[in-house]
Formats: sequence, structure tokens, C-alpha cells
Amino acid sequence: MPLPASSGIHRPTLYIGLGLFALAAVTWFDARSMSIRATYGMGADAASYFVAAFIAALGVGHVFAAMKPGIDAGETDWGAVMWIALAMGGLVGSIWIGLGFILGSTLLFALTARAFGRRALPFDLAIGFGLSLMIFLLFNKLLKLSLPSGPLERLF
Amino acid sequence: MDALIQLFDGFALAIAPMNLAFAAIGVLLGTAVGVLPGIGPALTVALLLPVTFKMDPGGSLIMFAGIYYGGMYGGSTTAILLNTPGEAASVVTALEGNKMARKGRGGPALATAAIGSFVAALIATAGLAFLAPILVKIAVKFGPWDYFGLMLIAFVTVSATFGSSPLRGLTSLAIGLWLGLIGIDQLTGQTRLAFGVPNLFDGIEVTTLAVGLFAIGEALFVASRHFYAPEKPIPISGSIWMTRKDWARSWKPWLRGAGIGFPIGALPAGGAEIPTFLSYTTERKLSKHPEEFGHGAIEGVAGPEAANNASAAGSLVPLLTLGLPTSATAAVMLAGFQQYNIQPGPLLFVQHADLVWALIASLFIANVMLLVLNLPLVGLWVQLLKIPLPWLYGGILVFATMGTIAANPSVVELLVLSAFGALGFIMRRYDYPIAPVVVGLILGPMADSQLRRALQMSLGDPMVLLQHPGSATMIVIATVALIAPFVFRGLARFRAEED
Amino acid sequence: MSFFSTRLAAAAVALFTAAAPVVAQDLELTIIAPAGAGGGWDAAARALQDTMVRTGNAKSVQVQNVPGAGGTVGLAQFVQNARGSDDQMLVGGITMVGAILTNKAPVSLSDVTPIARLTGDPLVVVVPANSPHQTLADLTAAIQSDVANTIWAGGSAGGADHILAALITQAAGADPSKVNYVAYSGGGEALAAMLGGQVTAGISGYGEWQGQIESGDLRALAISYPEPIEGIDAQPLKAQGVDVELVNWRGIFAGPEISDETKQAFSAAIENTVKSPEWQEVLTARGWTDYYAPADEFETFIASENERVGDVLRSIGLAE
Repeated sequence: MPLPASSGIHRPTLYIGLGLFALAAVTWFDARSMSIRATYGMGADAASYFVAAFIAALGVGHVFAAMKPGIDAGETDWGAVMWIALAMGGLVGSIWIGLGFILGSTLLFALTARAFGRRALPFDLAIGFGLSLMIFLLFNKLLKLSLPSGPLERLF
Repeated sequence: MDALIQLFDGFALAIAPMNLAFAAIGVLLGTAVGVLPGIGPALTVALLLPVTFKMDPGGSLIMFAGIYYGGMYGGSTTAILLNTPGEAASVVTALEGNKMARKGRGGPALATAAIGSFVAALIATAGLAFLAPILVKIAVKFGPWDYFGLMLIAFVTVSATFGSSPLRGLTSLAIGLWLGLIGIDQLTGQTRLAFGVPNLFDGIEVTTLAVGLFAIGEALFVASRHFYAPEKPIPISGSIWMTRKDWARSWKPWLRGAGIGFPIGALPAGGAEIPTFLSYTTERKLSKHPEEFGHGAIEGVAGPEAANNASAAGSLVPLLTLGLPTSATAAVMLAGFQQYNIQPGPLLFVQHADLVWALIASLFIANVMLLVLNLPLVGLWVQLLKIPLPWLYGGILVFATMGTIAANPSVVELLVLSAFGALGFIMRRYDYPIAPVVVGLILGPMADSQLRRALQMSLGDPMVLLQHPGSATMIVIATVALIAPFVFRGLARFRAEED
Repeated sequence: MSFFSTRLAAAAVALFTAAAPVVAQDLELTIIAPAGAGGGWDAAARALQDTMVRTGNAKSVQVQNVPGAGGTVGLAQFVQNARGSDDQMLVGGITMVGAILTNKAPVSLSDVTPIARLTGDPLVVVVPANSPHQTLADLTAAIQSDVANTIWAGGSAGGADHILAALITQAAGADPSKVNYVAYSGGGEALAAMLGGQVTAGISGYGEWQGQIESGDLRALAISYPEPIEGIDAQPLKAQGVDVELVNWRGIFAGPEISDETKQAFSAAIENTVKSPEWQEVLTARGWTDYYAPADEFETFIASENERVGDVLRSIGLAE
């Protein structure tokens, strides 16, 4: 991610620092709302306050570090990242709406392969299907592990 | 010696040809399932356990031992070759092991892991056979204050995995600690940071975090650079076997790893992860090549792998003598013993002496079998890296997510897994080390509960930590380890100014 | 070699997956274990699975683990998915009653249809072998004189062990909200604390500590069962003048709004299963105590447990 040379601030570091402040604040408020107190010794909120303070301190560290030149993340193929996000989305979605493990894993395999530059989606779908089917049969039937079922799984 | 005679009786049972075959099948099955990314030893043993049920106790016990060691070993293979540890105890192995694999030294890395596991398991199983009754007496004396001291030492040594920048290393650790807060607090029942989502009440599963950060994060990162800076692991360069130099650099870490892993594994709340961290730090400190750490130092694979396997055998000490499972794998093993009507506990060695010694003999045999079968397979495993990247990563993601789905088939868990994948990607992108997150998630809750248990028992008096010699010693060691580097640096500067 | 072992493996696998005996009934069930593999509910579900198929009370049974939040994640999912279902059941127990209250779960056991109570294990109150407390009376005297320094070890906060500690403290005449209960992740870890002499007394399922009690490492002062149990020397709390009873029961439920026929079929299948000799073998092997009660009795029982557990949890500040 090339930065404007004039700014002199390493933006990713700054954003991470701000994110850490937000995380610390959430943790702090969560700890304040805890209602169960320990009868003896220290309560569950103590660790939360400690971690919140620790994270806030690191946030300060990041703000200072942002003043200096930081890591250049380099060129990024956002398209590939999107394909993998889509692949994971395919799996999660397929389990969510009850389409089952095989379809979800098939999508996951083929779309991940697409992210790495493959352009043969039908062929990869077929391989993914074969792989997922094999896993399903092996684990579900032989080892009695119940993987999420959809219409496809009920055929077996 | 009485124990020796009984052990020989055990061997007499285990060495029968049929039982040897069962050991081989167990090791093969265990390795085959354990090698799948995202499927750690606990799940492997749980999945394969039913396979052994329908047989006579002797044979199934032997197959069971094979599955146990096979599953333990299989987990490190994917950590080394694909940077996707299936469980927390292999995270450290991935640190150096994968760097070696990327340099084309996957063969030696796998070999040192296999032989190290063998050596460590041999020592630790011997320890189990002869020291268990004594060890367990010491181990139960370990109070919450002592555990807290041990955690402090572990926290200090984690800094060895931080990489170049302390700020980024500490941030990774803090994220792990934060994740460790999520869920219902065991001691009071108070919910922390779950925001009313019931699926988060039991906290973050270490396996989910490790798989998300490593397998998915890695896939995202590699894909994002694929066309700009392709980094493909080189299948093999040079020999796939260990050179003379590799042997020379490995044998001491093996022994030290076994020495660290076995006693900590034998503690009722020791676990398998802490020994791997401690071993890694030790090897880094003692190595003649500290500059290689972070770039594929063989000691960093040999030590932690040995520690991992030694602690696995060590965890059988509380399991067999107290009936106390100290890891997920041990909990599954306990269920297994109950299937054979073996109730682990103080009377086990008295009531079922023959079965116990058969089990211990089986562990020895399975261990040998593992080495015999897996050294030749090293050549086969490294071929995995010849699979074209699109299919390789497609397969990794399918297996990695399947492990999560198998353990907990919930959409929330999958979303959490995806979120960890994104986190792993961002962290890699900006060069934040990954391992400290896992370390924080494991150590944070343990340190929190043990400290609060100690304070609860002392009715809130913090001096309890210093009144017990064990905890006082460990706290002093941790403090010294924390401060010493600064002092030495200061001294060196002081001397430099004097000159 | 490899050919040989592959063949062997294939033969072995074929052997283990060999078909179950012929079945009489056509139930094809899914039993939800609202916990991960290895826990008590998982064990109960798998024992039922095995026994129902073996005794021919079901054609096939699948066990599905839905872990989380003391079983309330599984319960919530079950209430949603098993409405009117004729092929799904759920395992649950006393821990779930407590978890529903402490987690403020949106669903409760009154949302599902009780089918039968299955097992009920006694909890045991123990002290380390070298403890000065020889009898239960010694322990209650200690509670009376210094409740803060009478340190208990047991399972997680708000669970059955914790509830029993609070009940005993109350019965001994001390304030139950002052009970010094140190929670561990399970009976095992608490056991180490007992053997190490770090705590005064401990509570766990009898089966979990049976070995240590028989070997003399722990001294069992009392069990929480209402009556004495054959083979257990320790006498009930009630028989020793502490008017407390608590049974770690497990039961099985069907979904909400199921038809009468389904309820009949489920009840009959479960009743036949638990009255079979095979189930008795399971109970012996696992160290479980039979605590069978049919649907109606179970329903009344749950209502009273709900009230009792709620009272205790409120008194120790874990529920509102």
C-alpha cells in the first residue's frame, strides 16, 4: 500500500493503534458491567481491566510508532483475497441455509483454486466434489462423525 | 526389579505377530488421519477410537497406542510442510519447521521431528513405567500459586517467539490474552466479552484459533502475493535425510525437549503447549546459531517436537494414576480406557497390572513402529508440496474447516474461524508474529484462574504467592529472566562508555 | 508390507462396521448431545445409541454433538429445529437446569417434552485422608466456626457440585453466600487439589473419585443421594442429620409440540431400552445409577428441581 510521501505518518500502524484503543474501551466497559463478584480474592473483572490497560498502552505505542516509517505491505492481489473470502462465504452460507457439507466444501475448494489463478471452474468443482464426497463417506459413514447434512448427503 | 518383570510380561503379550499387526494398523490410521490439516490428535483419537472397540482388550489397546502416537506425529507433518498446525502444541514446530520446508529442507525437518519424537517418547514412556507413582505424589503438591509461577516463566519466555519488534510481539500476545477473556469465567460464572452470544460462552477454542490464523490466514496471504511475489515451497533440495551436521545439532535438543516435556506433561494442569514454548526458548538461548532462529533452525524443530511427544507420554502419568485427563487427547483416552473397563486411578496398577503393563509395552512398540513406518514415508510426505498451489490450498482449506465443523458444527464457530483467518492475514501483512496470539489464548486463562484460586484460598492475601517456596522460586526466576537482558545491556553500555 | 497392512486394515474396518443385529422397530433417531465429545451427556447419548440399536428399540441412531454454554446452546437449537419432530431427541440433566438460569437463556426445559429420567448419580463429599475432619459432623462444625476458611473444591461455578456445597453450608447454619468454593474445570483437577491438601473438602460425582476413595487417599464423608446405595460405604447426608439431597440426574427429551403418537413411541422405546439387561450392563460398566422415571413423573420432577436450583443459585448470587 503506497503512502503519500508527504504525510510522514504510517497510516496502517495508526489505524491499528486506534483499533487497539477501541478494543481496550470495549473491554473496559464490559468489565464495568460485570455483576457477579467473587466472595473471596479477585473477581473476574480484574483480568479484563488488566488486559484493557495493556491493550491501551500498546495503542499508545502504535501511535508513536506511526510517526516513524513502517512496513510497506507491498503489492496486494485484492481479487485473490476476495475469491477466498467468497470461498469461505460459500461454505458458511451452505451450512447456514442447510445445503450441507459436500456442497459447501466443493465451493470452498473450487473458489480457493480460483483465487490462486485457476481458470477451470467446472473442472475444479468436479475435483472439489470428489474430494468432499470422499471425506463425507469416510468420516460420516466409516467413522460415524456427523457432518452437517443437506439434500446431497441424504442421498447416501 | 518388579516393574521390569511385569514390563517383560507386557512385552510378551504385545510382541505376538497379530498384535504387531494391530500396532502397525493403529500407527498407519493414526498418522493418516492426524496428518490432515486442522485435525489434531484429540479428534484423531476420538474418531478412530470406535474402530478398536469390538476387539479383545489386548489387541485393541495396542492399536489404540498406535493411533495415539500416530495422531501425535501426524499433526507435526502438516505444521512443517504446510504451516497449518492442527493443534496448539504444533504451533511452535511450525515456526522453524515451515521455514525449513520453504528452503527445501522439509525432509530433514520431518526426519528430526520423527526421530526426536521417537527418542522423547522412548524416554518418557520409560519414565512413565518406572517413575509414575513417585511423580504423581510430587505433581499433586503443585498448588495454584505454583502454577501461577510456572505461567509467569512461560510468559517471559514467550518473547523468544516475538520476531523483530517487541511492540508487534506484545500486541499479538495482548490479542491472545483478550481472546482468552471471552466466555464464562470458570471460577465465578461471570460472562466476559460474549455480548450475549451463547456460542461464545465456552470461550474461544484453541484449535479454531490456530487453524484460522495459520491455515486460512496463510492461504489468504499467499494468494494475495501470488502474482507479485510468489513464494512457493521448494519440494526438495539436497537430501531428504538429515546430514551429519543435522544430527549433531539435533540430538541435544531431543534430550532436552524430553527432559522439559515429560515432567510438565505429568503435572495435573501442565498441558502439552507450555513445554514446547519452553523448549523453543531454551534451544534459542543455547544454540550456536541463534541467528538462524526465525529462518529455519533445526534445533527449533527438534526440541519442541521432542517436548511435545514427551509431554504426551507425561500426561499419561496423571491419567493412569489419578484418572485425571490433562489434555483433550487424554480426555478421549480416558473414555477409551473405560470402554475396556479399565478405570484409571490409584488402584489401576494393582487391579489391572497386566493391562497397564501391556499398554506401556504397546506404547514402546507403537513408538518403534511409528519410526519404522514414518521415516520411509518422509519421502512421500514431501511430495505433497508438488501438488499445484491452487489445489494444495483448496485441499488445505477443505480439511482445515472440516476439522472445525466436525468438532462443533455451528455457523457461529465457522464465522469465528473466518474472522481469525482475516486476523491472520492482516497480521502477516504487517509482520505481526502469529504464535504469541495462540500462546496468549492458552496461558492467559490459566494464569488468571490459578492466580485467583490462590487468592481465594488465602482469602485475598497476595503474600500467598511468596510464602510457598515453589512459587516464590519460580516468580524470582521469571523476574530475573525479564530484567536480566536489560541489566546486561545496561552493563555492556556502561562498560563501553568506560573504555 | 504395505499391501499386507492395507489388506489387514480393510479387513479390520469391515469387521468393526459389521451390521448391527436385526431390529424390531423402525425408529431412525438423532440424539443431540448438548456437549462436546467425552463429557457425561455425550457418554449418555452414545450409550443410549448403542443400547437402543442393540436391543432393537431403534433401527438407527445418530449422535450429534452441539456443545456450548452448559448445554443451553444445544437446547436452544433443539427447541428451534425439533418442533413436532418424530426423529430427534435431546439428552440433558441438572447442569442444564442451572445453566439456563445463570446464562439467562431464552429457552428452558419447559419448552421441550420430557420423555424419561434415565440415570441419577450421587455426589460425594470427601476430605483428604490426612484431614482432621473424621465425620460429616466435624466438617459441619468447621463450617459453622469459620465458613471462609472451609475451602471447597469441585466442578465449575453454578454446577451441581457448587450447589451442593452451598446447600450443606446453609444446612450447617452458615450463610450460603459466604461459601468459599474453588471451581475447577472438572472432578479431575479438583482431585489434584484434594490430594495436594490445598482445600478442606471436595465434591464430585462418586464414580469419578471412586478409585481414590477405595484406595484410602480420600475419605468419603457422605453421599448426596436420599437413600444408602449398595456398594458405597458413605451414608447419605440426610441419614447424618444434614437435611440435603441432590442427585446428578440425566434425562432425555423430545422436541416441543410433538404428537401423542410420537411421545408414546419415544417413551416406549426408551422404557424398553432402560429395562433391558444390556442397559444394566452399561450402567455397571460406567458406574451410573439407575434413576428411571417415566414422562409424567419426570415432568413434575423437573419443575421442582427448577425451583430448588433457582433458590440456591440466587442465594449464592449466580442468578437473579
